[in-house]
Amino acid sequence: MYQYTEVDQKLVDERVAQYRDQTRRYLAGELPDEEFRALRLMNGLYIQRQAPMLRVAVPYGLMSSTQMRKLAHIARTYDKGYGHFTTRTNIQYNWPTLESVPDILAELAEVQMHAIQTSGNCIRNTTTDPYAGVIASELEDPRPWCEIIRQWSTLHPEFAYLPRKFKIAVTGGPEDRAASQVHDIGLHLVKNAQGEIGFEVLVGGGLGRTPVIGKQIRPFLEGRDLLSYLEAIIRVYNLNGRRDNKYKARIKILVNAMGIDAFREQVEAEWAEIRESDLRLSQDEIDRVKAQFAPPAYEADAVNNDLNAQLAENDDFRVWYERNTVEHKVPGYRIVVVSLKPYLKAPGDITDVQMDTVADLADSFSFGEIRATHHQNLVLADVKQGDLLQVWKILNANNLARPNIGTLTDMIVCPGFDFCGLANAHTLNIAEQINEKFEQVDFLHDVGNVRLNMSGCINACAHHHVGHIGILGVDKKGEDWYQFTLGGSSEADAALGKALGKAIAADEVANTIEKILLTYIEQRESEEESFLDLVRRVGVDPFKEAVYGADH
Amino acid sequence: MALIIDRKPVTEDRWQWPADDQALPAEGPVVLPLARWLEEAGALAGRETGVQVNGDDDLQQVLALQDRVSLFAVEFPAFTDGRGFSIARLLRRGGFKGEIRAIGDVTRDRLAHLERCGFNALQVPDERYSPDVLQAFDEIGVHYQGGASLARPAYPQS
Repeated sequence: MYQYTEVDQKLVDERVAQYRDQTRRYLAGELPDEEFRALRLMNGLYIQRQAPMLRVAVPYGLMSSTQMRKLAHIARTYDKGYGHFTTRTNIQYNWPTLESVPDILAELAEVQMHAIQTSGNCIRNTTTDPYAGVIASELEDPRPWCEIIRQWSTLHPEFAYLPRKFKIAVTGGPEDRAASQVHDIGLHLVKNAQGEIGFEVLVGGGLGRTPVIGKQIRPFLEGRDLLSYLEAIIRVYNLNGRRDNKYKARIKILVNAMGIDAFREQVEAEWAEIRESDLRLSQDEIDRVKAQFAPPAYEADAVNNDLNAQLAENDDFRVWYERNTVEHKVPGYRIVVVSLKPYLKAPGDITDVQMDTVADLADSFSFGEIRATHHQNLVLADVKQGDLLQVWKILNANNLARPNIGTLTDMIVCPGFDFCGLANAHTLNIAEQINEKFEQVDFLHDVGNVRLNMSGCINACAHHHVGHIGILGVDKKGEDWYQFTLGGSSEADAALGKALGKAIAADEVANTIEKILLTYIEQRESEEESFLDLVRRVGVDPFKEAVYGADH
Repeated sequence: MALIIDRKPVTEDRWQWPADDQALPAEGPVVLPLARWLEEAGALAGRETGVQVNGDDDLQQVLALQDRVSLFAVEFPAFTDGRGFSIARLLRRGGFKGEIRAIGDVTRDRLAHLERCGFNALQVPDERYSPDVLQAFDEIGVHYQGGASLARPAYPQS
């Protein structure tokens, strides 16, 4: 993975010192609340319901075991012994004190980490495929491009005070595990008619109050022009995006208001001015970053192993293998998904002990690297098939091997009202209710792939619009109610879910999901037809009927 | 107002800033808001002038003035309004060599970014100015991006 140069390290160290001084000036009363707010947000610090919340950047989701151990140490030392992985593949700590944050940042800087631009109206952490570099369908590893974007966007002097936050996702092939179509900018590595690899560029996707699927602004962009094109898009947005209403300030609103063609015209005109500038990447520069993501030293004899016999002998291991591991492009290896969706725990939460365990596993079995996923799980990307049984045993002993990846209980859930100052409704209690109702692994495996996303407010941090089943918590006269949508997707076939009907009472959420799933099982043509396929074929009406009765 | 030009505090502002209801001063360099500048362009002929602009102004009109004025004062109605950063970048890219001054809600934690985008003059409200504000320019000594004053970004250098 990418190793910091002296420049990278100096920047992060100086940012820590700068933030320490900003905190000092704030506590001394020299810095008004409103200004410190903007500064601390640009360094990942929110003031939440219970305490400050610090969001640490995990650029494109990639961590070393050393970094993971540091995250565990921070959880132990400055927090209550756990952290929470987010859909932007960052990690959040819910209990640090404001005064301790400069020290936490200094500890992070020791392992080439930071909290820069994990919040605020600036360019956020760029996300990508958690299977980057190890999945056969990929055209090219997207991570070098993410690192180039990371550097270019970090402390960008012109784009620190955009109308609103700005998120970029990059995919390396036809499959989309990064929800790129609901990002401000989605970049897809594609091949053109000449066989060259470059980017398809989408713009103006997003969720929140106004969910929109991104629109294509350019079918093919040469890699060397990536930064000039991004700069052109964001400059047009910075100058023209709405600043009078924060709910209408995202680029999606500007693109919709102007129309994609007029927006493209402005971007291309601006791009023509800067395309030949210093922003053009030389092949040397690109190659230097790519070299940092060279494949690890895979062993040819990894194909010789006892996996099949082990799977035949141990049902629990086999069930986990089938659900929580993925085919690797190198024979003899397997991608392991570490489930952060254990029974009755908050989705995405991980304790310091679990973090240390995953770090040890990475060192022993996966070249010392770990990835975080958009679905709030972790990945050990390069495990030898012959090591899987041992990896499973250790994960299992640490409550990290629930065989539920891709199933209903592999939910994306925001922290909701228990922690978040923006939330209108609780989510964690509902997640528990769902876990209790659907404890039966056999039933979940029969249902197969179902993406359940639940947000505690309209800001949609858990991407409910693009869940196969989306749940949005709302407040009605002091009570929590839950609105359902069906048929959303954030993958290559991205779509926004359609409303099921009137909101459901809190204690009926799991029962409602059961009615939906039973309807699916009744109506599917075969096990090959997934839940999403069925919703697309028959629409929401059969589900409406099952949930609200014939008189809906 | 405390004025910083090229990182140094300046006590005298040589520019005059008549209010909307004030007549044009008879002589000396004068800064007018864009609309008034355009209105009085005839009367200003031959004088040294500056124009005050903000993010709501027509950018093409603003850029068209760069050979006719020697100062652009770019307004920041709120520190969160980042349009001025891009305006300065575009002015410098267009070849403007004169003074670009940030006015309005201009305070310490934005000074370094402002400078990198092409502002060479920064007008900080008195109550927010103290000599240590000048340290803001050197807090972060390395950059990934180019800017108005730095051609090659750190990224290819590293």
